[in-house]
Amino acid sequence: MQIAIIVGLILAILWFIEKMLGTPMVIRPIVVSTIIGAVLGDLQTGILVGATLELVFMGFIQVGGAVPPDVLVGAGLGTTFAIMSGNGADVALALALPIALLAQSLKVIVFIVRSWFMDFAMRLAKEANIKGLITLNIAGLLLQSAMYFLVAFVAILFGSTAVEAFVNNIPEAIKNGLEVAGGLLPAVGFALLLLPMMNKNNILYFLLGFALFAYLNLPVLGITLFGVVLAFIIVFEMKGKQGEVTETNTTDEEDLFDV
Amino acid sequence: MSEKKKLNKDEKKLMREIFWNSFMLEASYNYERQQALGFSIGMWPAIKRYYKTKNEQAEALERHMAIFNTTPHVVTTITGVATALEKEASENPNFDKSIINNVKIGLMGPFAGIGDSLFWGTLRIISVGIGLSLAQQGSILGPILFLLLFNVPHMLTRYYGGVFGYKFGTSLMGKASSSGIMQKISKGATIVGLMVIGAMSASMVKLQSALVFTVGEEKLPMQDYIDQIFPLLLPLLYTLFMFYLLKKGKKPTTILLITIAIGIGGSLLGLI
Repeated sequence: MQIAIIVGLILAILWFIEKMLGTPMVIRPIVVSTIIGAVLGDLQTGILVGATLELVFMGFIQVGGAVPPDVLVGAGLGTTFAIMSGNGADVALALALPIALLAQSLKVIVFIVRSWFMDFAMRLAKEANIKGLITLNIAGLLLQSAMYFLVAFVAILFGSTAVEAFVNNIPEAIKNGLEVAGGLLPAVGFALLLLPMMNKNNILYFLLGFALFAYLNLPVLGITLFGVVLAFIIVFEMKGKQGEVTETNTTDEEDLFDV
Repeated sequence: MSEKKKLNKDEKKLMREIFWNSFMLEASYNYERQQALGFSIGMWPAIKRYYKTKNEQAEALERHMAIFNTTPHVVTTITGVATALEKEASENPNFDKSIINNVKIGLMGPFAGIGDSLFWGTLRIISVGIGLSLAQQGSILGPILFLLLFNVPHMLTRYYGGVFGYKFGTSLMGKASSSGIMQKISKGATIVGLMVIGAMSASMVKLQSALVFTVGEEKLPMQDYIDQIFPLLLPLLYTLFMFYLLKKGKKPTTILLITIAIGIGGSLLGLI
């Protein structure tokens, strides 16, 4: 009961902070799981679970109107259940994924409900009532925070025994498979990040970053610095039709690697 | 209106107000108008300054209730441009006010593109990469460093983006060129973003072949040969395969489930 209330409050407050402070990333698993670990008395597991879940959920971000799986609920409940049942990152992952997928539709409902608020917002705008607009804006946010509290509270209060039984009955072979899948899942995230950015003309830069790590084992920060220098050279230093050089290279590479 | 003029005292105060009013952009995100409610609240510092009657203020607020959507971290740049345009509109009776929303719509797309690849795609990924390496060892510094690395540039962009947008909007009134800079920033951000995502997928996607060929007495593990030619070839192919499926219009949730199935199936069959 206590845990249900505390975790519910954590999720609600984190979401409130996230949207009151301009999306500072406090609802990412690396933060959420750590806080829940600290509150449940197992900070170490919380941090480790956060690291695992962050990798898997990296690509699930809300860009534009598309609603991704709900990482806050997934990481929050996955971590809680894993710690309560005395398990670690693997179990947290196995639970967080389906929970995040299930919770996805809750956000959609909130977005629809808040669409109804907009008529009211237009009326307030017509009266130049700025206090009313701000209040309405925060009320919309509180509605979503309350939803998160409720979901976590109900899920933990009624779900923990069922979840525990479920976790203890996962066969070993499936657990191994989940571990392999856990290693593959970041690929989905990276592909999602690439989707709006990458095309035939610039896939070369992606391959360059990949090869610098694969062959030279450079740290990611180092590769970033190379990228900044390269971008500066290409964008500001080279004049005229520099695009042609990269384009011919690109087609060569692509024939080799395009699946 | 000269381009490089220093901001006066009231304008500096205005910049701070734009900064503080910008944070609630997505508090009431919804399908009908997306971030419009948050954006019109962000325009209030400009509106209350430039329009003195209630009717004018209401008209301006309604104007900014039009559907709006961009990356939250870079919104102040657009607020700054719109603020400069509202200023012009309030001073110049011949100003066509429909320009304001047209400029906003023209900016929100490119800014979402730049902002998403800079903040979600690049800065967040770098912060995760550094935070993660510490968190994986169980260090509390991991999440803390992650938040700091992301939010220090975030806050700076939020403040100075507003200043830049306001100055840019003011100069826009003078001459309509200098938009080439946006394309350059966009192209540069894409290059850095792609290289970082390339490096991150190489370091974080794990896929190894468990296949072992037996020729006579000798055991030949497949992965050894792959490593000699192109280490991490399999993670690369898998990431590109996922990209290909998304490009073909498959839903993220679908390929997520496909991946889990491949992971469990492949491991049961002893392939990976």
